Amino acid sequence: MSLLSIKNANVIYKVKDTEIHAVNDVSFEVEQQDSVGIVGESGSGKSTLAMMILRLLPKDTSVTEGEIEFDDRELLKMTEEEFDKLRWTELAAVFQKSMNALSPVHRIGHQMMNIYKVHCPNVSKLETKKRVLELFRMVNLPERVFHLYQHELSGGMMQRVSIALSLMFNPKLIIMDEATTALDVITESQILEEIMKLQKELKLTRLMITHDMSIVANTCRKVAVMYAGCLLEYGLVTDVIASPRHPYTIGLLKSFPNFKGERAEIYSMDGNLPDLSRLPEGCVFAPRCPYAQKKCFTCPPQTVTYENGRQVMCHFEGGNNGIQY
Amino acid sequence: MSRLKDNKQLRNGIIFLTVILFVAAAAPLLATHDPFKLNEDILAAPGSKYLLGSDGLGRDVFSGIIYGARTSIMVGVIAAVISAVIGVVIGGIAGFFGGKTDLVISEIINIFLMLPSFFLILIVVALFGSNLFNMMIIIGLTTWTSNAKLMRAQALSLRERTFIKAQMTLGKSRGRILIEHIIPNGIFPIIANTTMNISQAILLESSLSFLGLGDPNLISWGQMVYQGKSYLVNGWWVSTFSGLAIVITVLAFYLIGDGLNNVLNPKLRAKK
Amino acid sequence: MKRFLLKRILSGVLIIFISLLICFVLIHAAPGNPVTILAGHDNPSPEMIESLTEKYGLDKPLPMQFVNYLGTLLKGDLGYSIVSDKPVVTLIAEKIFPTLLLALTGVILAVVIGTMLGIYAARKKGSRFDVAVNSISYVFDSTPGFWLGLMMILLFASTFKLFPTAGMVDLRAGYTGSAKVLDILHHLFLPLLTVTLIQIPRFFRIARSSVIQIMSEDFITTFRAAGMKESQIFRDYVFKNAILPTVTLFGISLAYVLGGIVIVEIVFAWPGMGRLLMDAIMKRDYPLLMGIYLTLSVSISVTMLLVDIVYAAIDPRIRYE
Repeated sequence: MSLLSIKNANVIYKVKDTEIHAVNDVSFEVEQQDSVGIVGESGSGKSTLAMMILRLLPKDTSVTEGEIEFDDRELLKMTEEEFDKLRWTELAAVFQKSMNALSPVHRIGHQMMNIYKVHCPNVSKLETKKRVLELFRMVNLPERVFHLYQHELSGGMMQRVSIALSLMFNPKLIIMDEATTALDVITESQILEEIMKLQKELKLTRLMITHDMSIVANTCRKVAVMYAGCLLEYGLVTDVIASPRHPYTIGLLKSFPNFKGERAEIYSMDGNLPDLSRLPEGCVFAPRCPYAQKKCFTCPPQTVTYENGRQVMCHFEGGNNGIQY
Repeated sequence: MSRLKDNKQLRNGIIFLTVILFVAAAAPLLATHDPFKLNEDILAAPGSKYLLGSDGLGRDVFSGIIYGARTSIMVGVIAAVISAVIGVVIGGIAGFFGGKTDLVISEIINIFLMLPSFFLILIVVALFGSNLFNMMIIIGLTTWTSNAKLMRAQALSLRERTFIKAQMTLGKSRGRILIEHIIPNGIFPIIANTTMNISQAILLESSLSFLGLGDPNLISWGQMVYQGKSYLVNGWWVSTFSGLAIVITVLAFYLIGDGLNNVLNPKLRAKK
Repeated sequence: MKRFLLKRILSGVLIIFISLLICFVLIHAAPGNPVTILAGHDNPSPEMIESLTEKYGLDKPLPMQFVNYLGTLLKGDLGYSIVSDKPVVTLIAEKIFPTLLLALTGVILAVVIGTMLGIYAARKKGSRFDVAVNSISYVFDSTPGFWLGLMMILLFASTFKLFPTAGMVDLRAGYTGSAKVLDILHHLFLPLLTVTLIQIPRFFRIARSSVIQIMSEDFITTFRAAGMKESQIFRDYVFKNAILPTVTLFGISLAYVLGGIVIVEIVFAWPGMGRLLMDAIMKRDYPLLMGIYLTLSVSISVTMLLVDIVYAAIDPRIRYE
């Protein structure tokens, strides 16, 4: 059964007279206890999608459309009060730049207790503190962190604080937005190990947003490839990496050194992201696509679903037109 | 360029300033009277003969204001430029040379920040003679700290850049790198700040003139306000209009400075 | 904390010393001296000038004079005014209360009003209120205090006769007790309004921009995502973070106002140190001038020290830097 089901999600930012289509018609489903990595370049709309699910987009400058079904409830239709109850208790997040995840002039323990009280106002101070310390143990943080300030911790420790914070109410879904990008490689892999261990123990569902394909390959079961606000390819990591079907995914995989370390030459794609205020008539990727045909520039491609829930959005997918990738 | 157009402060400021500069330049053509001449009508109300009235000695207020623009702009610009030059050199040396030099200079900057500058300006002008030259020098000498702080920050970040490091590796002298690369590349925030400083200098000059310490050989708005103070009840126009001229001029430079800051600092602009 | 305090106190003392040195050198290097003024304009006898010069120690070399001054200063003695022959301490003590009353209440009122306006404007960013207050703040920032004061007098005192034009008390009425306090408040209103209006824009702008900046910080997103109410986020977290620049500005502003208040005092004939200072300057009354300068430097240093302590108490990062 799917925990999260996104249907035709659209986000439009309205800045002055221009409309920026940051997320375009994205649909996919996330199973219970699954782990999905969303990859894409900066500006691909992956963070906007996360903020849309969390309903944290600025109300005055953004418009959202579509359906987001979470645990049999329609998120976008809930009132602010209803959604507030769901926040953090069922739907938590670890944001990028965890070095600024909390207020710099308040003690960490105090802030965590304050957040705990938002949803459990009647629990005693002692109980609340016990819970916070328990969370610290789960992410391998010493108890003294409780009395420290943000600037007294290293990046890795603050990352652990953020993760501990997100686990506070045993949420059903955790969204991690570039959660480990700022860390050094060693700390990053340690923390990723711990995240996967915690996910098993706590039966979490995880959405991992990153620009780093190798993180997705190592820590997620499924991958969603986004480009210019569109979901171009979605499927099991094993399937997608072994046989990418969208030209963009092929390019993306080529731009990383081979996972076995065989290829030294790094591929780079020509061109830039399209102007999101004027979307092309045809496929968003066509201007940069090495295989683009006339049709690609005039007619938008449909998303086709295959075995294992694999989704691809391309006119010439699967060699059905005899195109050789 | 579209940023310039979008920036209301900058646009309004430039419009104001253009008018003021025009007035200052064309003073002899615009003035209806000789501003120094003592006419027979004392404290005449604003009207067709004296557009903005006449003062207690019969001088035409309108013509005085027109000529006063020259004094204000001259004091403001020269004092601010002195302050910019001192600030850029001191801040540039501190930021670029770093180490002990930086520590000492930073401490000096901090001490200067704490000095009651208006008080010092007052003492110097009062004791050394109230002339324009003294005024401009002392205002420049006491207001350079903000420029030095900005330039120091610029130099600190610039010296980490590759093109500066390359010059250092090539063995160019640090003094030359400072003059040829650090200062030209880091000057923009100082330009914005200097525009703000012009405002401050004009206000300071008018304050000194109001205390009776203005240059007696020149027409200045501060002096006109000071002289009009005695006739506030029967001749409100003398102080009111000359003061208004100060407000508008200061505002013009102030808007330009703030507008430039917003244009130059995209982070600030995004948050406006 | 102890080391931090000690360091700040030491640098405060250093600043006072340097201030005094600069002031001392300046006034002695300037042309003109008090003796000729004291001796009068009509052919002062050389003997008289000589004896006066000797009396005030002006015949000694400058460094000696400065050391002597510091020596008596350490004993708590600011010397005697050359012109009026009264102790400098007494002269300043008579005038310091009105100045502090005007400067302190002015800055405090400006902090409170400016900060409140700034916070409100930031939360309603882009609204009519925000745009209006923002524009007005530019105008007041460009207005010279003395002119604003004159306009106040013209409007509220001469035209509407709501407030007195000058002084601190109505001497003829001879009020006592609470009537005297009311009378002082009545006189205080216009000069206070002037000082406050001139200072509000700085506090308005810094509060506005700092609230806007803090509201865009990443940690605010954390609290929002956690379901905390906007009002609680603001009260518990935004305010404490956003107030820091205001604390710093408070110190700088007070120093600025203390230095510049001379003019407002003169406009309203407020019986503070302004007149005293102008007289001391005009008559080259060195000891009095040094005394006033010292008072000012000490006040500024003490304010800065207090500001540093408050800042360190709010911001945990400061103690470690």
